Amino acid sequence: MTEPAIRLRSVSRRFGALQAVRDINFDVMHGERRAVLGPNGAGKTTLFNTICGDFPPTSGSIAFFGADITGLKPHQRTRLGIGRTYQTSLLFNGLTVLENLFIAVRGLRPNRFSFLRPRRGDEAVAKARNLAQRMRLDHLVDAEVVNLSHGQRRQLEIAMALAGDPRVLMLDEPAAGLSPGDRPELLRLLHDLPRTLTLILIEHDMDIALPAADIVTVMKDGEVIVEAPPDRIEGDPVVQSIYLGGGH
Amino acid sequence: MHSRTVTWSLLSALLLLALPWLLPQVMPAGQAQFWIANILGRAIVFGIIAMSLTFLATYGGFISLAQMMVAGVAGYTLAVFAEGAVPRIVGGLGYGAAIPLGLLAATAMGLLVGAISMRTRDIYLLMITLALAMGVFRFIETNIAWFNGYEGIRNVVGPSVLGMDFRNTFVFYHVALGTAALLYIGIIYLVRTPFGLVLQGIRDNPRRVAALGYSVALHRTAAFGVAGFIAGCGGVLSTIYNIGISPGTIGLGGTVNVLIMSVIGGLGHPIGAFIGSLIFTVFDTFAATIYDRDRFNTLIGLVFLAIVLVSPDGAIGIGVRLRRLLAASRR
Repeated sequence: MTEPAIRLRSVSRRFGALQAVRDINFDVMHGERRAVLGPNGAGKTTLFNTICGDFPPTSGSIAFFGADITGLKPHQRTRLGIGRTYQTSLLFNGLTVLENLFIAVRGLRPNRFSFLRPRRGDEAVAKARNLAQRMRLDHLVDAEVVNLSHGQRRQLEIAMALAGDPRVLMLDEPAAGLSPGDRPELLRLLHDLPRTLTLILIEHDMDIALPAADIVTVMKDGEVIVEAPPDRIEGDPVVQSIYLGGGH
Repeated sequence: MHSRTVTWSLLSALLLLALPWLLPQVMPAGQAQFWIANILGRAIVFGIIAMSLTFLATYGGFISLAQMMVAGVAGYTLAVFAEGAVPRIVGGLGYGAAIPLGLLAATAMGLLVGAISMRTRDIYLLMITLALAMGVFRFIETNIAWFNGYEGIRNVVGPSVLGMDFRNTFVFYHVALGTAALLYIGIIYLVRTPFGLVLQGIRDNPRRVAALGYSVALHRTAAFGVAGFIAGCGGVLSTIYNIGISPGTIGLGGTVNVLIMSVIGGLGHPIGAFIGSLIFTVFDTFAATIYDRDRFNTLIGLVFLAIVLVSPDGAIGIGVRLRRLLAASRR
């Protein structure tokens, strides 16, 4: 597969007078793990939302495995194979882990509206269980989501994003609000995702972004400043000046 | 835990079934009959209507004030079409046809309320459902040709069940109890179906439900249709219980009473509707003798206030807290 999984060509997004993202070009190859790094207000989340479809770009184009998706709606992109998590948790608090996953799995299938309970051996239930297992939540399937820890909620978010068997998984600050103890677990989960899955994660924390990524894109003021493998990022003078302060 | 719930449900069901034989053992026969018909029977019938509100509130997060009106639509449809009702407006249908017609009308009205209130939430949903309830109430009250206006329609005596007269207290009690149990089991089943789970998803996070690819509008409207059917069952039973129906039943008083029952029982679980309606009916019946004939509403108001202040989640909440206390003291 030579077409990149995600290709952005001079993507810009403007909110009134504010140019949130300016002339971004990048290719994320199939199976690649890309981290987008940058301080608050750098345009990371806006860029993320142009790819997921919440805020389509004001100019430029976005292609998914060669197909133009610039004008598609968010749920159409989900069905094409772009899974995403949300920065602020959007789970169903009153339902159990398994029920959350079950809803996510069924949302992508026909006959979504049903007055009948799933039968024994129902495919969607089996898939929901499998997702829970992959995200190490199998001991919690019957727990109500409101009782989960913050780290477990993140795991469930990722599991729900995987429900549609996405080819590209977009993670919006997966480590936001996690305690230091939960971080290694999150890294391990990301590490265990299949290598065929293309991963794009937005993160402002280098300790998560660098170990999880193959290539890191650093943004500031709506533009891409540096694009390099993680081992070259920490030593990069531009990145250091952004993160450690200094005249920029 | 799960099997204990089942055991308790079975035991309480048996107790409720046997009450018409148990009560006369502990009180005079006349008094027992009064309790079966005027307290328990009435509480079950109003509990069904309150449960339609509890269902929407608990699982969808929708507080609808239209449920008493929807029940009234079933009652009026029954009264208009049932043979023998006075005055005869359409008539000609036996109860076997008029009752399903009433349920159908209530379901349709429920769907209509759901469709009209589709894009509203919280206080706005409350206002729009109240407006619909009052609109239908006034329409019925002022329309003499179709609904006999202020006087309403009388002599809706009900069918005979397996050769037994519906006017028999025990027959009515058991039919009401059976209907309530079936609807209750139906709700418990429904909330674990894809429909029920998505409904709870809408309660917790409507945006996410839509993002996952579900139609929020379809599920919301369907939920109001289901609630309409439940309210319709209560409306049919209450019309037969009262041997007729008049606009007063579905006025502001009736609308608010159903809300009060749901809240004092607790909106956390459908069973709260029946607990609430029982508490309400007991006070509604005896307040005049306990306190003061002219001020019995004050007593009902104070009881309502006390329950809501002590336990915002109603009588169910009190029960849950008591059980936790007991469990803690045993440890």
